[in-house]
Amino acid sequence: MNEQEDRQIREALKQSFPPISTELGRDLWPAVLRKLDTRPVRVPWYDWALIGFSASVFLVSPQLVLVFAYHL
Amino acid sequence: MDLLQRFALGEIDAFETLVRQFQGEIYAWIVRIVRDRGIAEDLTVETLWRIYRAHQQFRPDGNFAAWARRIATNLALDHLRRKRPEQSLLVEPAGAPQPDRLLQQETREKIRQAFRRLPAKLQVAATLALVEEQPYDEIADALGTSVGAVKLRVFRAVRILRKQLNRLGVRPGVEGHD
Repeated sequence: MNEQEDRQIREALKQSFPPISTELGRDLWPAVLRKLDTRPVRVPWYDWALIGFSASVFLVSPQLVLVFAYHL
Repeated sequence: MDLLQRFALGEIDAFETLVRQFQGEIYAWIVRIVRDRGIAEDLTVETLWRIYRAHQQFRPDGNFAAWARRIATNLALDHLRRKRPEQSLLVEPAGAPQPDRLLQQETREKIRQAFRRLPAKLQVAATLALVEEQPYDEIADALGTSVGAVKLRVFRAVRILRKQLNRLGVRPGVEGHD
């Protein structure tokens, strides 16, 4: 019974998903080239180091936040 | 130096030649899985971009098409995992008799919904094997697994689907055929 049901399900699946066209309608090279040209924004390691250093200084001496803000 | 060697070295001209040669094949593979032309185009571009980014990992004596298909399959799998089924499965009690055609459409829609709820890995294996009737060895290669594992996934997909459809009171064999 299960085997028969499985066969029916396989058949029903084929009928439920009509064939889809697999022809590519356009050349994708220009889109690939555009994607290759857009470089991801990368934060250099020294910026991360500076952020980490500043955060630890502010944690140790919170009053320096005001001095820092004044000079911005 | 041949094309694949030049590609492995990162030559953009060689990559362009490969894109023009393989984009149709990659797109066809992806659209069979995701069954949406727009999404398949986006995923093809993403696949080609990743292929170029990974050019150093490609062995020039390897099979470029198979390598590309594997990257494409992984992206399509990720897409299916992210995408939630648009509609929930409705459990409807057997109601008044309806015209055959409408009943057929409803049954098929329920089958599609139940299918989309399968785990992505099972869905991909079952789509490629049962709906698209692709060779099992090609599916296994694209999924980075064995033919036996693909057959097991297909078997599990059909079993889960059968249980879900039974619970919904859907009997695929009862609907009429076109």
